[in-house]
Amino acid sequence: MIDLFTTPGILWLVFLGTTLGITVGAIPGLTGTMLIALSLPLTFSMEPVSGLVLLVAMYVGAVSGGLISATLLRMPGTPAAIMTTLDGFPMATSGQPGRALGLGVGASLIGGMVSWFALWQLAEPMADLSTKLGPFELFSLVILALAMLAGIGDSTRARGLLAGSLGVLVAMPGMHPASGELRWTFGLTFMNEGFRLIPVLIGMFAIGKILQDVTSKDGKIEEVSGNDSAWISFSVWIANTFNLIRSSLIGTFIGILPGIGANIGSLAAYMAAKRGSKTPEKFGNGSEEGIIASEAANNATVGGALIPLISLGIPGSVIGAVLLGALIVHGLQPGPLLFRQNPEAVHAIIGTVLVANVMMFLIMIGCAKWIAKLSSIPKKILFPLVTGCCIWGAYALNGMWFDVLVMLIFGIIGWQMEKARLPLAAFVIGFVLAPIAEENLCAGLMASGGSYLPLLTRPISLCLLSTSVILIIWKRKRKESNTDQPQS
Amino acid sequence: MYLTKLKRMVFIPLAQLIFIKLVFFCSLQGDYPSKPITVIVPFAAGGGSDVFVRIFQNAIRKNNLCPQPIVIKNIAGAGGTIGSRSAKNATPDGHTILCLHDGIYTAQHYGNADWGPNNFEPIAATGRSGVVVAVGEDSPYSSLNELMEEAKDRPYQLVYGTNLGAPNHYSALFLQNGKSGAKFRFTQTGGGAKRLAQLKGGHIDLTGFSVAEYQQFKDAGIKALASLGEERESSFPNLTTALEQEVRATHDLMQFWWAPQNTPPERIAYLQNLLAEAMATREIKESFQNLHMDPVLQVGQDLLKTIADRSQKLQGITIDKPTALPPLEWIILGITVICFVFVLRESKSA
Repeated sequence: MIDLFTTPGILWLVFLGTTLGITVGAIPGLTGTMLIALSLPLTFSMEPVSGLVLLVAMYVGAVSGGLISATLLRMPGTPAAIMTTLDGFPMATSGQPGRALGLGVGASLIGGMVSWFALWQLAEPMADLSTKLGPFELFSLVILALAMLAGIGDSTRARGLLAGSLGVLVAMPGMHPASGELRWTFGLTFMNEGFRLIPVLIGMFAIGKILQDVTSKDGKIEEVSGNDSAWISFSVWIANTFNLIRSSLIGTFIGILPGIGANIGSLAAYMAAKRGSKTPEKFGNGSEEGIIASEAANNATVGGALIPLISLGIPGSVIGAVLLGALIVHGLQPGPLLFRQNPEAVHAIIGTVLVANVMMFLIMIGCAKWIAKLSSIPKKILFPLVTGCCIWGAYALNGMWFDVLVMLIFGIIGWQMEKARLPLAAFVIGFVLAPIAEENLCAGLMASGGSYLPLLTRPISLCLLSTSVILIIWKRKRKESNTDQPQS
Repeated sequence: MYLTKLKRMVFIPLAQLIFIKLVFFCSLQGDYPSKPITVIVPFAAGGGSDVFVRIFQNAIRKNNLCPQPIVIKNIAGAGGTIGSRSAKNATPDGHTILCLHDGIYTAQHYGNADWGPNNFEPIAATGRSGVVVAVGEDSPYSSLNELMEEAKDRPYQLVYGTNLGAPNHYSALFLQNGKSGAKFRFTQTGGGAKRLAQLKGGHIDLTGFSVAEYQQFKDAGIKALASLGEERESSFPNLTTALEQEVRATHDLMQFWWAPQNTPPERIAYLQNLLAEAMATREIKESFQNLHMDPVLQVGQDLLKTIADRSQKLQGITIDKPTALPPLEWIILGITVICFVFVLRESKSA
């Protein structure tokens, strides 16, 4: 493995992949999945190992790059960076953009390393363990994540839940995720898939933010300014050791679960950090713990998602699925035998996770000064540029203008929600999780013949559901605010 | 008045004639393909169908079989129906075609699309892939017949993981029909990899895999009970077929290429020739071997017969609606309204 990464050609590929990944990750509208799908044909002519190195490096870069726009513009470049907007942007607007970037980049590195270790040493037992989670357990896990939406950002509990349930509601039109039947499509074929994540996400955050800034008359635009260093002193990391490790482990394990991926990983780590924090009131207002938790966890999901991919041939994320295709195109047989039949390919994947994370750290820290200057680009240049990227990104997704329309409409919705002080992050997370929850609940019900009992008789499911309830009760006592039931 | 009449009677037909001649002339001149040929793949990049088309794209490019590049457009979603619809409505000039497997028949039969094979001009079928029925390693069943007897004695008890409405679901339905009285309980598990995870974790009793998927997963703790071909699969000569085990069920998957209706026949012929040339390349032969696909190539009468047979076979299938599912969309609507009321109260009291 060491031989491989001392070859200049391979190192160059890691550098290229990471840089490209960071770039698309940072641009709202362009995603790592798009980059990797577009690059896949280019790897046909490469050696299989080189191709895999390039693609995995892009994956690591793309997940990391999202923090740049999330921090400086409050526009998550990738869905995985939604939670980073909550604290990264407030910290950046309070005159510390460098520090916000530095915390995110450093935490990303640690998260990447922890998940790399799990991938390297614990891939097989962890993948086996993850198959023990059936539909009922996955449903309970999503319910736990939804219950966490109540305390998101700095909004009140009722507002968090309203935004979350609106997100869930908007996920309803389209093909039923379990029965495959159509619902609320009004007979329009382009509605069969419902609203897609990327147009909704970039519409809500990027277009919504632009509308908000453009229409704000009283000049109350939150400006990111400041020229502080991105170098975070060692004592900060020491103080956050527990947070870093907890967030990385949460990210790694949730990354393994197929389809759940980076979004829940960073949400769960963020909420765990908030509950465990001595200063929970800072969360949503530029908390360093919040940035660390979100970024450590989302980078950790990369290694996590690769665990079932290389040990079982099961992709843990959308990008994982594309990588699986890449293995097949290169004539490698993904699955449990990959380790034995093509050890060099497995070592290349595992090694790249490590090298690309280090490379990402060096690139981002090295360029932090220039990256932070992005926010000083005049708005009249930046906004048309971002809008253009968003339109292109939404269109390129499936070549459908409908997606562009969806993005623009959700831009208006996002802008109005912001005015009504409804947290956008809760909306988008509700939107992402709804189909997963529904698919798993319905799959479980179909398998149990319609009985809900396994939700309570299966130990892991019971444990997750009772945790959600405990979280809610605990919250009630502390805040004594309005209450209502959790979503189901 | 006279002028308009003249216009209607002379100029317009003349213009039409010139236009038609021009188009015809161009096509005769071999002016096709005059721009990149777009192949719509109605599934996400990186999936099985996407990889399949990319292998053709690669072989055509490497061997310079076509003066224009092949471009892949992934229009994923809703079991392939969004992509197939957009291909159906594309300009029928041979520059936009669709590659879609048996899902084109099953989506129509299941009721998720009101169009099907008859709404396209078939170009060719390239490649056949066998289907294997598998159970977990520690399953009590060691033969398909044994399992089917159980499904007959205790109907609706064995849990079969499928992707509802997709060809994989229909493998199971054919299997049920192969043994009168046998019934499975179907559950939604999604694509091949998810079915493996559920089988391994003991959440489902059995499921179907393509031969390529089975080859990939077979050492992960699952075992195959039978293949569903007319004959044994060449990759697994020791695996008996369902027919041999007295279960009268056959199913397999083929990849089909479709053009929008009214695509000029000479362009279809060009594409058939292009695919046939690609099939003869070393790259495709190797890839098919890797994917455990039989390098079948069908055009013309053979192709029409295959399509008619496959449509015919589905006619005998009726679908039991799965377990009644909770109307979650209405529950969510209710919860949203409740939350809205709370927020309103909160803003009033503030």
